[in-house]
Amino acid sequence: MIKTIAKPAEKKITGCGECRSTCQSACKTSCTVGNQSCERITRESKIERK
Amino acid sequence: MIHIFDFRDSHYIFDVGSGSLHVCDENTARYLAGKSDSLPEEDIQALENLRREGLLDKAEISVCPQKKKEAKALCLHISHDCNLRCAYCFADEGAYHAAREMMSFETAKAAIDFLLKESGDRRVLEVDFFGGEPLMNFEVLKETVAYAKEEGEKLGKKFLFTTTTNGLLLDEEKGAYLNEEMENVVLSLDGRPEVHDAVRRTVNGKGSFSAVIDNIKRFVASRGDKHYYVRGTYTAKNLDFSKDILFLADQGFENISMEPVVTSIPELAIREEHLPILEREYEILAEEYLRREREGRGFLFFHFNLDLEGGPCLEKRVSACGAGNEYFSVVPNGDLYPCHQFAGEENFKLGNVNEGIVRGDLREVFRTNCLFTRTKCKDCFCKFICSGGCNANNLHFAGDMNAPYEIGCRLMKKRVECAMHILAERKLRKSQENERKMR
Repeated sequence: MIKTIAKPAEKKITGCGECRSTCQSACKTSCTVGNQSCERITRESKIERK
Repeated sequence: MIHIFDFRDSHYIFDVGSGSLHVCDENTARYLAGKSDSLPEEDIQALENLRREGLLDKAEISVCPQKKKEAKALCLHISHDCNLRCAYCFADEGAYHAAREMMSFETAKAAIDFLLKESGDRRVLEVDFFGGEPLMNFEVLKETVAYAKEEGEKLGKKFLFTTTTNGLLLDEEKGAYLNEEMENVVLSLDGRPEVHDAVRRTVNGKGSFSAVIDNIKRFVASRGDKHYYVRGTYTAKNLDFSKDILFLADQGFENISMEPVVTSIPELAIREEHLPILEREYEILAEEYLRREREGRGFLFFHFNLDLEGGPCLEKRVSACGAGNEYFSVVPNGDLYPCHQFAGEENFKLGNVNEGIVRGDLREVFRTNCLFTRTKCKDCFCKFICSGGCNANNLHFAGDMNAPYEIGCRLMKKRVECAMHILAERKLRKSQENERKMR
């Protein structure tokens, strides 16, 4: 048995630079890469939900 | 490349190339790990289907993106002084191995001008007010925000501001201002009072917990739905740090982060022999995290907040942190460094906000640095999630920006596995709930 839990959404645009700068030293917590969401996708999905 | 791991009785497959996560039975996990030759035909077929869909054994990209020479964010050290004397402070208790001083508004203005000038086509810029304790220079902070907004508007650029504070000066007036202007506020609190007080001390050597907790609670209560993090540091003195995170959650804080200390101070430093204890702590935390979530009293722990479906694009994931190319630190006299972790290190001074970057060679080192220059990360399942870690930690603890800081790596991998387990449990729970509703 194998079941898919998560697969990345296809991204129409990459490298747009709208996401936050990242800080892996974690002094500033809010920015380690993997813990971010794509800000463009997040924003667009919010608009779609509205 | 695939990564096979267990969490309690659950077996997971993470496909590194596609970023997909699968849950499977023990037989399938053993088969994929090469520990068993046999698998029922239907399961072999299921694996083949995943391969065809590009969700298993997908080829990985291995080309560094062409990073532009564009600035995006500044860490503005508006105060190189602090009203606390934390034992583990990487910033030399706020002074960064130099004189204690405050940034003038003139320097802060020049820093904003530098960022605007260097930002090319970027529309969203970030400024982090950092220290030392930034609220010790509150008037300059406010003037800088007003100036950045005004100048940004002229050029069609938006600023996102963050302040990191220890909470000591966070009265109602400052709180109201931060709520109005800050996209994010990071509040330093280490957890249980005795843990916090053992390391986060006032100038007079007293513990600071009782002096900050009410300020931080009041501020968070007034924050509404805006971003904040209560952020702690754990050290060798509190290897049972999950208790500190749960203590913070019990105080009503919903956005929490707790980071391992990075220091060479012997009594505080995380050592290799601590790792099994710490890894177990993350597992305990993950289980309690899920339990509280099921009971409707969940909270958000930053490192368990892994977004595999809508996360950053691959370009972002391989670009590493951007320090020294799109992100710079500015110290009170206006000197520029790749990031706050390098502030005060003469070899890493890039220039000054008035004259710009004069060490183009050093900027080029940072610009061309990416996941694929970190050759030791090549076979790591976590590489597209952590981008190879922190340049400064790598340099200071492994002697090379491209060599991973091993202790940080081990902890990162464990947190990512826990985060994946949480994602899976959440998804399976939802699907069971939906099935129940359908019946």
